[in-house]
Amino acid sequence: MVEPPLIRGIGLGKVYGNLVALDDADLSVRAGEVRALIGSNGAGKSTLIKILTGAVMPTAGSVEMAGEPVRLGSPPEMIRRGVACIYQHSNLAPAMPVLDNIFLGRQPTLGFGFVDRKRQRREARELMQRFAIDLDLDATVAALPTVKQKEVEILKALALDAKVILMDEPTGWLAAADVRKLHASIRALKARGVGIVYISHMLDEIFAVCDTMTVMRDGHVIAEVDVADMDRPRLVALMVGDDLAKSSAGASLAKRIPRGNGIVRLRCRGLGKRGLFRDISFDVNAGEIFCITGLIGSKRTELIRSLFGADRFDSGSVEFDGKPAVFRNPSQAIGASIGFVPEDRHRDGLMLGLSVAENLVMSALGRYRRFGLLDRRKMADASRRSVSSLDIQPPDGDKQVRLLSGGNQQKVLIGKWLSLSPRLIILDEPTVGVDVGAKAEIYAMLRAERDRGAAVLVVSSDIEEVMTIADRVAIMVAGKLTAVHDADKVTRAEIIRDIGESAA
Amino acid sequence: MRVVSAGAVGRRLVPHALPLVILVIVIVFSIAQPAFIKPENLIGIVRQMTLVGIMAVCTTFVIMTGGVDLSVGPVLATAGLVSFFTMQAGMPLPIVLATGLGLGLAIGVVNGAIVAFLQLPPIIVTLATLSMVRGAALILGGPDLHLIRDEPAFTFIGTGTLFGLPFSIILFVAVTLAMIFVQRRTPLGLLVAAIGDNERAAYLSGHKIAATKVTIYGISGLGAALAGIVQSSQVHTAAATYGPFGTELDVIAAVVLGGTSIAGGSGSVARTVVGLLFLGVVSNGMNILNVPIDIQLMAKGAIIVVALGLGELK
Repeated sequence: MVEPPLIRGIGLGKVYGNLVALDDADLSVRAGEVRALIGSNGAGKSTLIKILTGAVMPTAGSVEMAGEPVRLGSPPEMIRRGVACIYQHSNLAPAMPVLDNIFLGRQPTLGFGFVDRKRQRREARELMQRFAIDLDLDATVAALPTVKQKEVEILKALALDAKVILMDEPTGWLAAADVRKLHASIRALKARGVGIVYISHMLDEIFAVCDTMTVMRDGHVIAEVDVADMDRPRLVALMVGDDLAKSSAGASLAKRIPRGNGIVRLRCRGLGKRGLFRDISFDVNAGEIFCITGLIGSKRTELIRSLFGADRFDSGSVEFDGKPAVFRNPSQAIGASIGFVPEDRHRDGLMLGLSVAENLVMSALGRYRRFGLLDRRKMADASRRSVSSLDIQPPDGDKQVRLLSGGNQQKVLIGKWLSLSPRLIILDEPTVGVDVGAKAEIYAMLRAERDRGAAVLVVSSDIEEVMTIADRVAIMVAGKLTAVHDADKVTRAEIIRDIGESAA
Repeated sequence: MRVVSAGAVGRRLVPHALPLVILVIVIVFSIAQPAFIKPENLIGIVRQMTLVGIMAVCTTFVIMTGGVDLSVGPVLATAGLVSFFTMQAGMPLPIVLATGLGLGLAIGVVNGAIVAFLQLPPIIVTLATLSMVRGAALILGGPDLHLIRDEPAFTFIGTGTLFGLPFSIILFVAVTLAMIFVQRRTPLGLLVAAIGDNERAAYLSGHKIAATKVTIYGISGLGAALAGIVQSSQVHTAAATYGPFGTELDVIAAVVLGGTSIAGGSGSVARTVVGLLFLGVVSNGMNILNVPIDIQLMAKGAIIVVALGLGELK
């Protein structure tokens, strides 16, 4: 029974400019197999998936289906061959009934363009019966609960005669009970010989529903194993990049200053937000780098956005320099001398069409106001200083930010706060999609901020990074802060155990 | 190799494409009808575009942030009427102007406040104010033309000349220079570009998005009111029907032809002026060549589509 896999990517690579998004990656799925695809943001999962759906043309490698090479970079070709993808966000037409959604764009017709509704209904019923799916075909999609909408997407994929279904974080918006329902549907698909690639950051889900797993990091496949041969701590170690050989160097060299200069700058007590996180208490001192680590989806981003005033808490209290400080908008937080570097620099951080200089002054326009006018010369001077102290390449303040590399864009984003000398700077995944050189420079910037006496609060899923820069490490699991360690007294193994154990 | 270099040259020309096209059109019209290139006619072109021009430069910021102001036509009419009535009540000119402009500013501020605080789509909000303000204008002015008599100071705005140039042109140029100055030299100008590029990032950089939107819709209303005063002054009348349906389309067309993206982002006041010149030259040229108005309308529409399509090619 040496049947070839349903789909097989061999030596796939993708290079954007000088950024290697994917390098020599293999991925295969057999009939009736559920394969987990695991890795942090920027590990190359989405690039790999997009190659399999035809949305991205690889720069190296090939894809075979049932042993036969397929034409790359063509979405219609992949759909025709039975590759479907279900995304985290719905791709359905919400105002239309289930039946129309399933056959959207390729309804069976009676000729003269009339839709054969009877045949549609019959085909949909057959599929539902065969795959044990229960849906009201006449219900409007928007009226269905989210888990049912996922089933509509699955049915839509099946109506396309899908042999392989790629699911990109399909449970992102589902409650626990609904996750189990979805998993039941997945098992039914599996029993019928459909191959599934299941992307998720949730350990529980991977162990509950997957047979095999492919773990990715920095564009490489770093492990390909059966789920049965893997345990939680080892998987967490793989996910967060516990590479002992290369890690110890940076970690042991760094000087640790747990609790900084002993003055509490940010005091959080019992912070909660419904459905996201609860009862979070911690202090960040002046002169320390305080890291919050955990798996993606542990609601760290939501926590720090609320601290910065971009969202609200439901409960709890925050003190900044000893004074109550719940900010209603970012403007108030910045007024109190807090800086914030968001995770997604393109979506939330930078004005890509504006110049480096303009981005650098964006949080401090008040400083460049003279008689109500913008002091362009002062702006240019300040940006020249920042560009040189941050070593932004090319060193040209007039360049559009979109033309810079990821690492230099990130330096602009961080640099715009540093010129304000904030008393607290909050950074969300400060080195995602950044090359190694820029990473080291960013770490040096954060240490300089700490040594200047600022409080630095970093959210990071990268244990390598945490072990390199943290003075103290807090661990967040599923909306709760479960432990806080002094970084000089904790080992990476202990942190990994904390992240993995409480998630179980 | 040749194809590649041609492409590179093309890309370098794109920012200057519209001025080049204007030049070509001017040459073609001048050959077809030498009267076109005479100074009187060229001044006429600018004079014809002052009304739409004032509105277009004042509403460029709104479009740069991804918004739109459809209510300019009725605001124009109302500002003219209000000026007429305050004049009739015997008020001095500064008060007359302040009332007319203040009304436009107020309507713009209301537009901006609804867009910013209720987070409604600008196209719907200003469509609603378009309807309401026109209704208010009709209540105020009725169906009549109100004749403005013996008001030399007011009449000067639209018909007077200064340094040998029509005062309305000087006014348009002054407003344009002021708006270019605001865009390039003030925090507001930079903030408009920032919001148009990435509103979320602007918010997370600590900017008050709502206050900015209120300000720029206010400027748009102010521009429409100023256009209303100039028009009433030019034609010595005020009426509720001035600034008819289509006025807002001319204004938007000029801004967008200039290269400001209707979805927000890149754009500038200076480029709006280029868009205005283009429209002005085309319609004046067709007038001179005696192209019938129905054909002109169709040609104008086609030209807008082609010009925008070429802009997308880059």
